[in-house]
Amino acid sequence: MKILDIALKDLTQSFRSLFAVGMMFAAPLLITGLIYFAFGGLAGGEGGNDLPDLNIVIVNHDRPTGDNPRLGELLVGYLQEESMPDWLVAREMQDETTARAAVDQREAGVALIVPADFSDALLSADHPASLTLVQDPTLSIGPAVLADLVRLFVDGISGARIASEVISEQVQQAGVAVNSADLQDATAAYAAWYAELQRNLHHSGQPILAVRRPAAGGQASEDPIKTILGATMAGMVIFFNFFTGASAAQSILREQEEGTLARLFTTPAPRALILLGKFSAVFVMVLVQAVVLLAASALIFGINWGRPATVALLVSSLSLASTGFGILLLSGMQSLRQSGPVIGGVISGMGMMGGLFTAGMANLPKAFNTVTLFVPQGWAMRGWKLALAGAAPAEVLLTVLVLAGMGLAFFAIGAALFRRRLA
Amino acid sequence: MRSIELALKDIKQILRDKKSLLFLVLMPLVFTLFMGFAYGQMSQPEDPRLVVGWINLDEGGTLSTALRADLERSEVLRLEETTAEQAGQLVQNGKLAAVLTIPAGFSEKNLDGEVIYLDLLADRATSSGSMAEQAIRAAVVRALSASETARLAADLIHSGGAAVDTATLQQAAEAASRAWAAPALGFTIEKAQGDSQNTAPAGDNPFNQASPGMIVQFAVFGLINSAMLLVLERQNGCLPRLLTTSMSRAEVIAGHLLAMFAVSFLQGLILVLAGQFVFEADYLRQPLATLIVLSALALWAASLGMLIGTLAKGEDQVILYAMAGMFLFSALGGAWFPLEGVGRTFAAIGRWMPSAHAMTGFQNILIRGQGTNSVLLPAAVLLAWAAGCFGLAVWRFQKED
Repeated sequence: MKILDIALKDLTQSFRSLFAVGMMFAAPLLITGLIYFAFGGLAGGEGGNDLPDLNIVIVNHDRPTGDNPRLGELLVGYLQEESMPDWLVAREMQDETTARAAVDQREAGVALIVPADFSDALLSADHPASLTLVQDPTLSIGPAVLADLVRLFVDGISGARIASEVISEQVQQAGVAVNSADLQDATAAYAAWYAELQRNLHHSGQPILAVRRPAAGGQASEDPIKTILGATMAGMVIFFNFFTGASAAQSILREQEEGTLARLFTTPAPRALILLGKFSAVFVMVLVQAVVLLAASALIFGINWGRPATVALLVSSLSLASTGFGILLLSGMQSLRQSGPVIGGVISGMGMMGGLFTAGMANLPKAFNTVTLFVPQGWAMRGWKLALAGAAPAEVLLTVLVLAGMGLAFFAIGAALFRRRLA
Repeated sequence: MRSIELALKDIKQILRDKKSLLFLVLMPLVFTLFMGFAYGQMSQPEDPRLVVGWINLDEGGTLSTALRADLERSEVLRLEETTAEQAGQLVQNGKLAAVLTIPAGFSEKNLDGEVIYLDLLADRATSSGSMAEQAIRAAVVRALSASETARLAADLIHSGGAAVDTATLQQAAEAASRAWAAPALGFTIEKAQGDSQNTAPAGDNPFNQASPGMIVQFAVFGLINSAMLLVLERQNGCLPRLLTTSMSRAEVIAGHLLAMFAVSFLQGLILVLAGQFVFEADYLRQPLATLIVLSALALWAASLGMLIGTLAKGEDQVILYAMAGMFLFSALGGAWFPLEGVGRTFAAIGRWMPSAHAMTGFQNILIRGQGTNSVLLPAAVLLAWAAGCFGLAVWRFQKED
């Protein structure tokens, strides 16, 4: 019962502290909330993209020769069409210098310069038409999307030219005599077919290129933002769990410095029991923190953490690991003052090594994934990623055993060091 | 002069504490290295093209062959053979951006004028799925265009009295596909260089994001030390004693602010120099501009530190407020990730943040290659924020007993 009393006392003291509660619950939820706020609107619905506005300025120098159509003007009109994405805002400018200055002064993200021979080049096969894109070098997404849209426009023009040339060539090769009216009719038929194809691809309920979404199997999230959020929140749970474990273990140092620990040791309760009470408080605190954060993030962000049994195993082993590590870390500290920066530095460093701050990022090198296995945080992250993907308990067993083993080992060494120091 | 003495006292107190070095210098450097490494791996993978699965049940078909050749010329994606059984899992896991399945008889039936449906497995809600879909759609249009061109040619030949067979159609389709292979459009992409004399691109270094990002983030975090002094002074009775001396409140405030500014500026300077000489972020190409941004950032951080110092009732609250400030300002200001890639509302709010203007100032120098004029507006915004925070801090301080 004394263990319970000591543990309850420590728990009450901790939960009364605004700082402790802030670091345990508010900080991880705040960080994940910021990520959710930042990227949450980007994948709303089918192909929905709520990107910040990209201002484009277009300078049209196109001067087609002869009867060639003014394709430069058509391009400007195309980019200003209502069917363009909302975030693409295109306007025309008269001269290149002003357009470039607009990009320099960040009034526009991209300046599109249409050369004088744009129409002529597109309509002949002699050399490709060339457009100049002057872009803000800090941007990458918007200019790439603009380039794709322009290529789409150009494909439409090229298709008609290719159709006209190839039909004419094939007819000649077949030795058939046709007049120019027939060729024009064929080109017009091509243009009508092309328009119908575009309607089919973009507005039909049965497009020729049918896009299917992969079926979500098991617990895998259909929403990619939730996938990123899940990984980010897992990183935050692990980071702040280890932070809380170490901060909670500080109570031993605090009591030692304040003299209350020495007074506790004068009571009939054995020292081992007193220390066990304190260690139990640490364990309960990190356990409660993990459970609350998982529940809160599931409610607030809709994160599906996976199968309950898998989650229970991971929560338990994570709590063991963070408790054990916190006790080990503090057992080496000489004073409370020293412990603050050490906790901050060590936990942050191990968090980085464990991949907690890059949890939502893809394309990290394989070597980095290997490095993460040197720290318990890396194993914890691995386990949570499996849980988020819907893994069964058996699939996370190795991770759970490693984490629990590390936790027990850390605890054993830390407890031994504390007992020796307080003897 | 007494303010300067007070400031010197504060600075000595901060620098005497070895843990200050950890939070002020070591942690930002380690984080810069780490984040620069992570950004660099993400933005320059060995082959940045999306991987798209290819299932062709129309082996040897004219159109499927042309479609494959077109996709293999793509700068956006590259093809990888896969099977129908694995397709769903691979797309779901993100190993493939999409899987395109060409049904049996695609070429023959299409040339005969039948409508044949292609199956594309992709998650449009992801940027990779969406980009893959766009690139594949464009290639499919070109392939179908070649088919339609062949049919129109065949119709004309037939109407001219000549015989038309499968070989005629295939030949015409191949001719059209060859014509499509010659690019109709080229892009010259220039990155705006401003008034820089440097003709080399100023971007393409991941530390151009990571270095200023960490300078901004840890400018806020670093004020823990200075704000802590104010709180400790209040707690141990030094501040009330100071206020009984002939030093005016204004002098006390000035002294503390000067110390906070000096520490923040020194931290920023060390990180700028580390950025310059270790991470190859060329701050010194515009030293005056860098100095202006650094000074304005330090002044804002110092004012924020003053405000936190007057609001916090204890050490724990200083850390809590400083960390909350760090997270909010860093995320909203584009220190963690560029605001280009976030949602519209987030970006709109973020652009008002002083941290966003600090990032703009630094990136005008590092990436846009611009000069001193380009940092004046960002610095002015930072100073306005500094004035606001300082005003609030003074108001709180005046209420001290």
